[in-house]
Amino acid sequence: MKFNLTVNGRTAVVEAEPLEPLSTVLRDRLGLRGLKEGCCEGECGACTVLLDGAPVHACLTPGFQAEGRDITTIEGLGDGPGLLSGIQRAFVEVGAVQCGYCTPGMVMAAEGLLRANPDPDDAEIRHALAGNICRCTGYDSIVRAIATEAASRNRVSA
Amino acid sequence: MGQVHQRVPLIDGAEKVGGKLQYLADMTMPGMVHGALVLSPRPHARVVSLNAAAALALPGVIGVWWHETVPQLRYNSSIWYVGQVALNDEAMFAPVVRHVGDRVAVVVARTAAIACAAARAITVEYADLPAILTADAAAANPGSVGEGEAPAFCNPIDHVKFVHGNPDAAFAAADLVVETLVSTPRSHHCAVEPHACLAYPEKGGRIAIVSPCQSVFAVQAVVAQATGIAEADLHVMKSPIGGSFGGKAEPVLDPICAFLAATLGLPVRIVLSRRETFVATRTRSAMQGRMRIAMSRSGRIMARDTVALVDVGAYSTGGNYLPGSMLQRLVRLYDVPAERYDGRAVYTNTVPSGAFRGYGSPQIHALAEISLDLAARELGIDPVTIRARNLVAPDAIEPWQGLSIGNGRGLDCLSRGAAMFDWQARWARRRDTGRFRRGIGVAAATHINGCYPGEEEATSVRMRLLPGGMVELVSALHDLGCGSDTTLAQIAAEVLGLKAHQIGITPADSDLCPYDLGTRASRMTYIVGEAVRRTALALAGEIRVRAALALNEDPGRVRLEHGLARSEEGEMSLAALADWMIGRGQTLPAASETYRASGNPSSFAAHFAEVEVDTFTGRVAVTDYLAAHDVGLAINPMLVEGQIHGGIQIGIGYALYEDVAIDPETGQMRADSFARYTLANALEMPPLKVLLVEEGEPSGPFGAKAVGEIATVPVAPAIVNAVNHALNTRLSDLPLLPERILAAL
Repeated sequence: MKFNLTVNGRTAVVEAEPLEPLSTVLRDRLGLRGLKEGCCEGECGACTVLLDGAPVHACLTPGFQAEGRDITTIEGLGDGPGLLSGIQRAFVEVGAVQCGYCTPGMVMAAEGLLRANPDPDDAEIRHALAGNICRCTGYDSIVRAIATEAASRNRVSA
Repeated sequence: MGQVHQRVPLIDGAEKVGGKLQYLADMTMPGMVHGALVLSPRPHARVVSLNAAAALALPGVIGVWWHETVPQLRYNSSIWYVGQVALNDEAMFAPVVRHVGDRVAVVVARTAAIACAAARAITVEYADLPAILTADAAAANPGSVGEGEAPAFCNPIDHVKFVHGNPDAAFAAADLVVETLVSTPRSHHCAVEPHACLAYPEKGGRIAIVSPCQSVFAVQAVVAQATGIAEADLHVMKSPIGGSFGGKAEPVLDPICAFLAATLGLPVRIVLSRRETFVATRTRSAMQGRMRIAMSRSGRIMARDTVALVDVGAYSTGGNYLPGSMLQRLVRLYDVPAERYDGRAVYTNTVPSGAFRGYGSPQIHALAEISLDLAARELGIDPVTIRARNLVAPDAIEPWQGLSIGNGRGLDCLSRGAAMFDWQARWARRRDTGRFRRGIGVAAATHINGCYPGEEEATSVRMRLLPGGMVELVSALHDLGCGSDTTLAQIAAEVLGLKAHQIGITPADSDLCPYDLGTRASRMTYIVGEAVRRTALALAGEIRVRAALALNEDPGRVRLEHGLARSEEGEMSLAALADWMIGRGQTLPAASETYRASGNPSSFAAHFAEVEVDTFTGRVAVTDYLAAHDVGLAINPMLVEGQIHGGIQIGIGYALYEDVAIDPETGQMRADSFARYTLANALEMPPLKVLLVEEGEPSGPFGAKAVGEIATVPVAPAIVNAVNHALNTRLSDLPLLPERILAAL
């Protein structure tokens, strides 16, 4: 079937199988391979993208259901060509990245949280990450990266 | 110092966080085709026939291969180099399947989806064979478990016996003897990236293999053995890797991809599903152990008598090294005057085990550290005190291999950690009696630094100055995501007066890199790091000589700092020096060194956990955690903390949740997905505190030694000990599932 997808502000016509998951559509049809696949059953969160600003597991979302909605992937986050966004910089600077495979999904979950809740406490951050598996970091540095970025955004907006 | 002992961010961090780093599943090639595996649903059976007609009829299917159509060459996936002696018991596809998830066939198709659909359309006829599904059954029936394939498939595959001192006399003289049984589960690595491999034909009839692996040379050796393709015709390149923890140390898909690429003349990629990664790759071996400890009233260990039985699963892999590895770590922690050890490894018809962070250490430490805690309780001695009375001192000689433990600082970890954790006050706290009961636990641990003396610990490094002032570092490097590339770049940069990002690291490539054993056995920082330091020193010498000519100065007066070669007379950047030399037709400075280690010091740790147990549900929450680590010197404290944090996550799972849960009746794996295999996620993980003990290991680069593996070793016993403290129980079967806890109350 054919449908339109708006990804990172650009609209593309996509031809895909009827129930093809959004993760496959983005990776294989649109070449956006920043999102990763770790389980394809909604458990690991490596495929997390934002749908109208809220994090979803792209492997559980049929691609066509994203038609007419605003999709943001890791490729759409930077502060400009070749520039990382604040949340991405925070991840690198506090050591919240190791192997990097879960990272794009983690970053999108974090971005989704900060858009919904600009001043989360640690428990809220951990809750927001409950759908994302990281096997390298023990989550401690990820929680710190998100808290650091939240504080930084709040300083800027204050 | 400039770069060493600094919290330098990952040199490839921006690529990773930007989603730009291409992992294997992100790579495509023109004409690339896709493989999907058919896996056995039976634990032990002869593959009688295979009907692929329906699969082959699907549009886009290219072919099906099984044991009748692939070379029947036996190999061992754990070898590190050609000629390494091992039990060759595995085949790409064998006539007999030996565990649920064993490989039966592969389908190749134009797309991965078609390949998967075709794999499901294949019907296989099996003739069931008797299956050995538990280690007990294997131990009770020594001898052949296969059909005339000795020495493979004979139990036990290894039996290590060791006696030190006079255990019998010590037991007879002891004030107290405590016997404890401990069992540890078969856990899975759960790297978020599933196993994957890509192979394609190269010029000259060679086969290129791109693999998220821990050693390109191990891949080369295994694939040569499995396929019959000459080693020289295999060009192996390490791809970025989405976590390994030992799980990708052994090539599983590489022989099949290489064989198919050679047969079809096409690029062939296989990416496993999550379930396949669980049932068809590797796990941590399960262990059943019994430890008797002879104690003096004052809390000195007088003797230990240990019996350990390790279930390595359906193929030997490196399982025959496990009993010895466990002994090696057992005897390095405490000063025990008399020791008896009996360790066996056995085959069963279950998923194979392989390398996994710690390689035997988590198992043997669970046994030793839970046993010691229960002995301490009977003596009425505080668990920290009893450990302090027995930990080895720096420079002790361990009794098995007769090696020095180096500047091992286990006592510092324990005493400084106990103070920071406020252990004494918390231990003195009155026991809870309500629904929620808190307890604290401690465990100490040791681990090795490299493979000496089991293997030649030699590694070679080449470095050279490039036009533009970057320095290239070539060794067979496999950063598994731990940041070893960054750590090694820091070491080189420190010597050369550069920044870590100015060191260009080529990922391992069997055509370009000198041989190295790979990223394993806690050898990267301690062994390869020292090789890098020495090579950088040699390169710095070369650069100083050249810069001295350019600056008209004595080489001894040239310093390398801030990216410059400097003297009293003047200074120039390394980029300018490179330009100056190129303009004069000179070869740019280069150096090559081989470093051979002649020791294997110990790293140490002491972990402290607080738990809260819900006596209604049996659930355990880890509420506070401190890890004290003897790292010699942290080249990058941020990455060291990251290693420790990640090790704790794996350890908490090992203590409380993780078990692939093989049904002892059917051989089926019950926890073969992330939905059924529970990991500690962000909500379950407590805030983590780390204390680094940095007293310097003289033989390590800038005093550094290993941390990656040991980080997970003491976690499970610390948590089990905390639960036993909270509940006054003697729980010792891991993981501490709620039903086990409720049954003990």
